[in-house]
Amino acid sequence: MRKFMTYAFATGAVISLMGFSTAQASDAEASMLANTCNGCHGPNGVSQGPATPTIAGMNKNYLIESMTNYRDGTIRKSTVMQRIAKGYSDAEIAKMADFFSKQKFERVAMQKTDPAEVAKGQALIKDMCEGCHEKDGYTAEDYPVLAGQMLPYLRNNLMDFDSGSRNIEANPNMSDKEKRKKLRVLGELKEKGGVEAVLQFYASRK
Amino acid sequence: MSKIMNTMNRRHFLKTTSGVAIAGAATLAAPSLANAAAGGKVVIVGGGVGGATTARYLKMGNPDIDVTVIEPKASYHTCFMSNEVLGGERTMGQIEVTFDGLMKMGVKVIKDHVTAIDAAKKTVTTAGGTTYGYDHCVVAPGISFVVDPFVKEGEAVFDKLPHAWQAGPQTALLRSQLEAMPDGGKVAIIAPPNPFRCPPGPYERASLIAQYFMHNKPKSKVVIIDRKDKFSKQGLFTQAWKNLYGFGTDNSIIEWRSGASTGGIDAVSAADMTIETLSGGKEKFDVINYIAPQVAGTIASIAGLTNDKGWCDVDKTTFESKVHKGIHVLGDASVATSMPKSGYSANSQGKVTAAAIINMLAGKPVGTPSYVNTCYSIAGKDYAFSVAAVYRFDAEKDVIGGVAGAGGLTPMDASAEMLRREVEFAHSWYNNICKDTWG
Repeated sequence: MRKFMTYAFATGAVISLMGFSTAQASDAEASMLANTCNGCHGPNGVSQGPATPTIAGMNKNYLIESMTNYRDGTIRKSTVMQRIAKGYSDAEIAKMADFFSKQKFERVAMQKTDPAEVAKGQALIKDMCEGCHEKDGYTAEDYPVLAGQMLPYLRNNLMDFDSGSRNIEANPNMSDKEKRKKLRVLGELKEKGGVEAVLQFYASRK
Repeated sequence: MSKIMNTMNRRHFLKTTSGVAIAGAATLAAPSLANAAAGGKVVIVGGGVGGATTARYLKMGNPDIDVTVIEPKASYHTCFMSNEVLGGERTMGQIEVTFDGLMKMGVKVIKDHVTAIDAAKKTVTTAGGTTYGYDHCVVAPGISFVVDPFVKEGEAVFDKLPHAWQAGPQTALLRSQLEAMPDGGKVAIIAPPNPFRCPPGPYERASLIAQYFMHNKPKSKVVIIDRKDKFSKQGLFTQAWKNLYGFGTDNSIIEWRSGASTGGIDAVSAADMTIETLSGGKEKFDVINYIAPQVAGTIASIAGLTNDKGWCDVDKTTFESKVHKGIHVLGDASVATSMPKSGYSANSQGKVTAAAIINMLAGKPVGTPSYVNTCYSIAGKDYAFSVAAVYRFDAEKDVIGGVAGAGGLTPMDASAEMLRREVEFAHSWYNNICKDTWG
């Protein structure tokens, strides 16, 4: 379903036009490249919080998708990641994604959540989110791990999906069916006033 | 000035090398013992960001390497976020880190002060009288200050006019002066000439002191007396000051005076609490934050590692000194053009240094380095911005070059929501870089 190859080739062409060589840049080892991320994302990508997401244990394809979408600059907007992602070639992004996908997603940050919201969220996710973010958001086979992710990060991203600043329609890695489903679920969640409850449920997972 | 410094350095060097010669006989066995360590022996001078990161990544990369960190302080206060302490947003305890994390992973942390490094014998000697042998030595001493000749009190000036540019007691002193100052008082921040640690730091400091005044002492002012005519993130700071502190109006809490506008500083007196400039004459202040000009930490010059400007030239792929083989210098003390002297740079360089040393000890090629800098400045409530860069080594120019098209500043038209998020990320950055550096 996900069109990684097409997209990777397309961005590869853009990058070489910008004047640095992908082949030359790929000499650095995966750990050398990945370690530069840890100052912001935490050792081995395990964030101490409060907002910067944990990237350890995410699936490799999702990490590649995130970095290439940030690099594109229009599909996924951000504060700093847009600027940083532009510094890496496809090959380097693939190495870093592979590295972090092999680390363990640890839940070390102390996050405050409201038990009532968490309970409300738990009831909502069964029908609305579980289809993709399986096993209470702990799995990372096709989608990002949500269980134990940083609450401000989750909030920011839901806000961005809603505003279109994280542009689901323009994401080349999603099928039309996936896009329709995501937008429909988000709309329903908003109608039910359940967005915050769902986010708190995921953030509360230990 | 550099001439004076060089003479001083040589004098220091002679004094300390003769000291080593005397101590040498008693400790001849140390180097051979060191070399016998299975994975090799690394001695790190300084437990700040550069030194601690190198120690941690050496141990993570190869637990067999014998890693010793020598640091005079029992715990370390980070310079980053110390401006939040000055603004009353954070306590001293919230910028303090211990060395427990390093020790837990098998790094030996020795509380002592390094007085000499002998590159030929490969030994490090401390004030406590111990000599440590090494295969690789890492020197990460941060900065030291060169007090201007126009300062009447000389080195003693910092007791009354704190630099607060090495966090710890100096930070606490400046904070207490700000707290004791009456409303309607005036604070001067003397911003240093380039190059210096944390280029946006003086301006973040002005911002957070202004925020403190706005809420607690609204008639008070912060005057930045700059030695320069422009500064890091100037557009973003100026815009933030306009948005938050009335900058440019008669009621502005912050005033910035460029080097050109003052014509330079003629005299600073702690006794009178005055600063005299060419154009402005003598002016009295209630608090003076004298951020003095800087060079590499003292041990770098004692060990003969500094150039005529007081900083250390290094191979930018290994951070090995261009003067002495087997000694690596990183962080603020090194010349790592075009990385700024920042905490994130030191952290990133620590990883490059660790990887290089691991490979060198194993007799392998050092590998291709990769470096990043990410630096946040908090200007006020829900208001922060950043600069970032991804770097590669450019062998032709011998610089750590920023990748074209990547990095750069928060855009000037960033939304309020984005500026708010940058505060969240700045605080996350703090927690994560501390964990990544000290464990």
